Amino acid sequence: MTDQVILARMEQRLAKRHAAERRFRLLGLGAIVLSMAFLVLLLFIMLKNGIGGLDWKFLTGSDSTDPANAGIWGAFKGSLWTMLVTLALSFPLGVLAAVYLEEFAPRNRWIDMVEVSINNLAAVPSIIFGLLGLAVFINTLHLPRSSPLVGGLTLALMTMPVIVIASRNAIKAVPPSIRDAALAIGASPVQTVVQHVVPLALPGILTGTIIGMARALGETAPLLMIGMRAFVATPPDGITAPSSVLPMQIFLWSDEIDAGFVQNTSAAIIVLLVFLLAMNGLAIYLRNRFEVKW
Amino acid sequence: MSSHPKLTARNVDVYYGPKQAIDDVSIEVDSGIVTAFIGPSGCGKSTFLRCFNRMNDTIPVARVTGTIELDGQDIYASGMDVVQLRARVGMVFQKPNPFPKSIFENIAYGPRIHGLSQNKAELEEIVERSLTRAGLWEEVKDRLSDAGTVLSGGQQQRLCIARAIAVSPEVILMDEPCSALDPIATARIEELIDELRENYAIVIVTHSMQQAARVSQRTAFFHLGAMVEYGETDEIFTNPREKRTQDYITGRYG
Repeated sequence: MTDQVILARMEQRLAKRHAAERRFRLLGLGAIVLSMAFLVLLLFIMLKNGIGGLDWKFLTGSDSTDPANAGIWGAFKGSLWTMLVTLALSFPLGVLAAVYLEEFAPRNRWIDMVEVSINNLAAVPSIIFGLLGLAVFINTLHLPRSSPLVGGLTLALMTMPVIVIASRNAIKAVPPSIRDAALAIGASPVQTVVQHVVPLALPGILTGTIIGMARALGETAPLLMIGMRAFVATPPDGITAPSSVLPMQIFLWSDEIDAGFVQNTSAAIIVLLVFLLAMNGLAIYLRNRFEVKW
Repeated sequence: MSSHPKLTARNVDVYYGPKQAIDDVSIEVDSGIVTAFIGPSGCGKSTFLRCFNRMNDTIPVARVTGTIELDGQDIYASGMDVVQLRARVGMVFQKPNPFPKSIFENIAYGPRIHGLSQNKAELEEIVERSLTRAGLWEEVKDRLSDAGTVLSGGQQQRLCIARAIAVSPEVILMDEPCSALDPIATARIEELIDELRENYAIVIVTHSMQQAARVSQRTAFFHLGAMVEYGETDEIFTNPREKRTQDYITGRYG
């Protein structure tokens, strides 16, 4: 083979390789455009239908049989209370479970089973959690029906495995050399984990937590089971007061026959999306705030 | 060798699961000198080093048998507090591993958890003294609040040495402390080891035979999990007793 032949063959192949490169990039771009298009479409339709209903009265009012008087404040407050209960329960439990599994648990069949169970738990349909909440919190423990307390407890069961999985991954990503450094200077295993590993894993833990919380915020099915679909005309003033939540309000209004509720439904969706965006924004802020530069 | 060795290992075996990594090694290590462990990769020298501060405890499948004594006290005895042992036997790792915290915090962490200082002034004094002894004070004294991780590799390794010194250990174990460093930083660390040796028992694992010859007074040669030869560094490098040692130091295998 002469040098010319080698060069010619390479050039021929090079053209193909460039073409393949371009095709792949176009494909990726297409995927992004397609998914963004649906998001934009959704936002556009909601804004078009709902923006007219987004006034002060809507934002500060509570549910009503009259669409002109119905507002979102009661459901918003209900979501806030519910999220508070969910966070207060699932965050400490989830992080503690993750830390124990990752750093302290012995490697044996029991722990393997616990791990598999937690992974499965994250994939259990949410309606099942609703049934569990109904059976345990309402029928057995007699906690107040359709309250943010029971809603929050039920959603915490659902959110905890998500937090455990995210936290374990974040903890796993902390370089072993940091554990070595702390242990070799005479830090106890608990000091090593609490003072070095968890702070470094915190951005990942927080991101996972907020993703889990955002999912819980949009959840409707389990709350149906525990009676949060009741008509509630007064905003809840605590975690035991009867209450609705944002997605449930959307669900209820979308079922109404009165045309006035169409606008309310869209307006409520806008409020829910803004709430979600604010939570994701918080996640990004917290991640950057605790990110350690190496 | 001496009547009161700092560290004594007798008939030590180390297993990783069913695999034996160290086979019946006995050695005495003295204070005031540098002892080097040399040998080809995988010969078990790092594994053996990690027995002296029980860092092998962190590997679930690792099992150590035999006895290892620090000043005549069995460090694998049930009454031994590992946390305290590691304050007395410090360690410097292959890759510099400063905490992603400030330079000050890197040094202050050990004294703080062991309760060595009563107040802030004492803590600051420990930090300054440790950094000075590690030859880093002049370079960092104006930026103690900067992150330890922004220092150069050689500076980071000296920071790690200062961190180990800060809890006043009696022994410093060094696991290939220069293998991630350039020749200039390596020379700086070697000088430092030589300066530190009179106050500590220093054990250094190294891949570089030149480094062992430069910094150590005694050398142990390991091969396939066994200690082949142990003696004065000059002797090992000029007149080894074992043919395997001779082959290794003249570069015939490794």
